[in-house]
Amino acid sequence: MITFDNVTKRYPGSHEALTNVSFTINQGELVYVTGHSGAGKSTLLKLMAAIERPTTGTVLINNQNVSKLKSGTLPYVRRKFGLVFQDHKLLYDRNCYHNVALPLSINGITGQDAGKRIRAALDKVRLLDKEKAMPITLSGGEQQRLAIARAVVSRPSILIADEPTGNLDKVYAADILQLFNAFQQVGVTVIIATHDALGNSQNEHVSSKILHLNQGRLVKAEVAV
Amino acid sequence: MKSWLTQHSQALKLVLSRFKANLLNTLFICLAIGVTLALPSIMYTVLSSLSGLANNVKSESQISVFLSADQAVDTATAIKAALEKNAEVKSFKFVAKEDALKQLETATANNNVLSSLEQNPLPDAFFITPKNLDAASIESLKNDLAKLEGIEEVVVDGAWIKRLNYLILIGQKAMVIITSLLGFALVAVIGNTIRMQILTQQAEIEVSQLIGATKSFIRRPFLYLGALYGLIGGLFALFITYAVISVFNQSLNTLSREYQTDFSINLPDITSGSVVCLLSLVVGLVSAYFAVSKSLFKNIN
Ligand SMILES: Nc1ncnc2c1ncn2[C@@H]1O[C@H](COP(=O)(O)OP(=O)(O)O)[C@@H](O)[C@H]1O
Ligand SMILES: [Mg+2]
Repeated sequence: MITFDNVTKRYPGSHEALTNVSFTINQGELVYVTGHSGAGKSTLLKLMAAIERPTTGTVLINNQNVSKLKSGTLPYVRRKFGLVFQDHKLLYDRNCYHNVALPLSINGITGQDAGKRIRAALDKVRLLDKEKAMPITLSGGEQQRLAIARAVVSRPSILIADEPTGNLDKVYAADILQLFNAFQQVGVTVIIATHDALGNSQNEHVSSKILHLNQGRLVKAEVAV
Repeated sequence: MKSWLTQHSQALKLVLSRFKANLLNTLFICLAIGVTLALPSIMYTVLSSLSGLANNVKSESQISVFLSADQAVDTATAIKAALEKNAEVKSFKFVAKEDALKQLETATANNNVLSSLEQNPLPDAFFITPKNLDAASIESLKNDLAKLEGIEEVVVDGAWIKRLNYLILIGQKAMVIITSLLGFALVAVIGNTIRMQILTQQAEIEVSQLIGATKSFIRRPFLYLGALYGLIGGLFALFITYAVISVFNQSLNTLSREYQTDFSINLPDITSGSVVCLLSLVVGLVSAYFAVSKSLFKNIN
């Protein structure tokens, strides 16, 4: 459902962040994007989510060529994804409930229907009792879970998370990964960028694909079981 | 259709909740807009009342023809016949000098001075209402009449109307200039206010764009904001116009009673009130549109 063919990305006034990257991700897969800081993981995720366009090469999302899409249709492509940003991008001027409400309101879902979905999403990340709390009062792990709730509230078929365990200690990190696994179990395609060496014991029983980046080049695409 | 409605009611609700959240700020901005708009609105109201007055008086405007004192008896009859033939004359009235004297007596209620006069100092007179009221026609009619036999003087009593009309014209030009200058000021004020709002909502706008909000979704609440600023400002302007003109009319009434007329400035009616509100709504909308287009969508394609 996501295909990169010879994709190169160069930011204006910068060197190549990605060079000749090709791979395919299928429906329902669990994919880890690994590599050092600056290897191009975030860039790869942004290209997948139609936030950036490739400099050369093609990115196909559900057989749609992102480069050929009019900029007016890009927002609708983006809505297929649930995104967890590297820096959360939570809105600190409103409570948890209204943070999770944002993607729904963008999709024109409001009122009772929205309320049900928001509470279901908060429930999934075990933050139902914090619905009225402001994000600033949450712990790091809770903020990350709130970001996940916002990403899944509109029931996307693809969930993309950029270093979701980056600043968390081991217990919290394992907890978050568990959540992603649960989504993958119910058929969601899950793509996670991480800079730590994988092999975290929790995931050994889950089959997953690893895209390893080194200085913008894909050096390994392997399936771990 | 339904989703269209949802989108708009969603944006409107959002804007109204933001309004409530900083009510004092909002009121202050709307008041500033109202004061700015009140000036041209008051000018317009005064000018249109004045030109109504000018038109009104113009239709009553007359040419007075005074006959020379020592005319023959049938001069008046000859002039009457000439006036009846003249196509430029709409109607006329003959006032004999005896009648004129009686009128003067009742008007001044002072018989002594007049009865002490040896003879009637007043001439016979025709009061003519011309058909065409423009300056050129009146002037040519005046010249025609002056050529008639036995006429002492032809007086057009509309000279001050000409002057009033010139003043109104100058006033209208001034109004157009002031309105356009203030219009620019309004666009700047509303645009700036909206840019500030955009700044405080920067984080939300960024995330929204990243997760698939369309440009119009992001633009819409700000357009509503500008339109509402304009609308409420327009209402404030109307209110100020009403208040100012009512105060003026009180003094005007006293003054015009002295002159035995009843001139007062018309308060704005429904039509001109709606025009003021609509115009300021449009100004608000346009300024918002420019502000949003200039400060949004920089970081993302
Ligand atoms: N918006 C940008 N403008 C210019 N250069 C960028 C931008 N984003 C990332 N880069 C550069 O691209 C390279 C890859 O960055 P990134 O994809 O963020 O790596 P990672 O997420 O693996 O740390 C880095 O060298 C970074 O400096
Ligand atoms: Mg990164």
